[in-house]
Amino acid sequence: MEQDAQLVQHCLQGDASAWEELVRRHTRRIFNICYRFTGNGTEAEDLSQEVFLRVYRTLGSYRSAHGGFATWVTSVTRNLLIDHYRRTKRDRLTDSLDDAMPVVENKESAGRRPDQQLLLGELSAQVQAGLTKLSPDLREAVILRDLQQLEYAEIQQILAVPEGTVKSRINRGRIELARILQQMGVRPT
Amino acid sequence: MMWTCEQIEARLSDYLDGALAATDRAAFEAHVGDCERCAPLVAHVSQLLSGMHVMEQVEAPPRLVYSILDKTLGPRESATGWAAVLGWVRGMASVRFAYGALSVAGTLVILLSALGFSWRKPKLADLQPVNIYRNADRQVHLVYAKGTKFVNDLRVVSEIQSRLRQDNDLQTNPESVAPSASPEKQPGRTDGSKPATPRQQNRADDVRRQIEVLANELPLWAGRLSVPMFARRLP
Repeated sequence: MEQDAQLVQHCLQGDASAWEELVRRHTRRIFNICYRFTGNGTEAEDLSQEVFLRVYRTLGSYRSAHGGFATWVTSVTRNLLIDHYRRTKRDRLTDSLDDAMPVVENKESAGRRPDQQLLLGELSAQVQAGLTKLSPDLREAVILRDLQQLEYAEIQQILAVPEGTVKSRINRGRIELARILQQMGVRPT
Repeated sequence: MMWTCEQIEARLSDYLDGALAATDRAAFEAHVGDCERCAPLVAHVSQLLSGMHVMEQVEAPPRLVYSILDKTLGPRESATGWAAVLGWVRGMASVRFAYGALSVAGTLVILLSALGFSWRKPKLADLQPVNIYRNADRQVHLVYAKGTKFVNDLRVVSEIQSRLRQDNDLQTNPESVAPSASPEKQPGRTDGSKPATPRQQNRADDVRRQIEVLANELPLWAGRLSVPMFARRLP
């Protein structure tokens, strides 16, 4: 967005309020990507902080001509998540999803009926559990496409892979996730 | 040409995203309609996508933005010295704070007064817990005694009033209580009997007894206003 590009310019000129505005605009989206990828609220919080720290330090390297600020920040997030995944692979084998910190679902959901809300909450937990069992390549593709609703071109830019690879990963990720949920005993509604 | 199961898997997302050409779409659906392996797979993935598209974003913890700002911009500047004091005072300059302070002060005044604190001669010793307890105990007993006396006074006054009212009623209707003339008694002659009936005499005794009680219960009132009268009438 143009506004983001202007805010970045102001930031680079030393305007702290512009940086604060950028952080407020993108924190929730970045936190969501991190949470869906790790399945853990505390880890997602720490990773979100790391993402913005890295963005702040490398803000000078951002070029609006190469794409939107949101895409750039998502790309930084994705790289950090993959680094984090590799770093914590051994720890994760002994961890349990039960330790995950619960996070609050969107307040907009208050408008739904209680039964719908319950079903949605169950679905969210099941999908989250299934996502953590996917390989990181497939997981990030599914999160970006189906949870963040990004276009293929944006995902291609974020993942820095050819379009065919993006499509293939999304497709395989969806099928794999559906099979995992089936194995978990989740019945389609 | 019929598609294979591998082809169905490979083009599943294209089909669900509506990116297949009409002929490919027809071939896809023809295979899925007949294949026991692919039909449930397509249904499951389709339902998963529908579910994921209505899943909502989770709320980021409110502190996250501040943590990020602290990490990137450094801790926010905090005022020191007089600036900090001024900032603190400025924070209190609100109508809500004034109302709150007033209500707290009022509550304190009421509590201290109830606990026997003397505002004319304030002593630090009155604020000691032991003295507060003693004062509170004394106040409670005093209030209880005053209350009991007040209720008793009211009861006595009420009884006297009711007696007097009944007495007045008797005086206004003398024929109902006056003795009937004796046919044997001669006019202008007395037989030595009292002028009042026994009932009237009893009522007079009752009134006198009540006045005695009133005099005992309300000594001040009786002393100031009615002692001469009572003195005349009481034996």
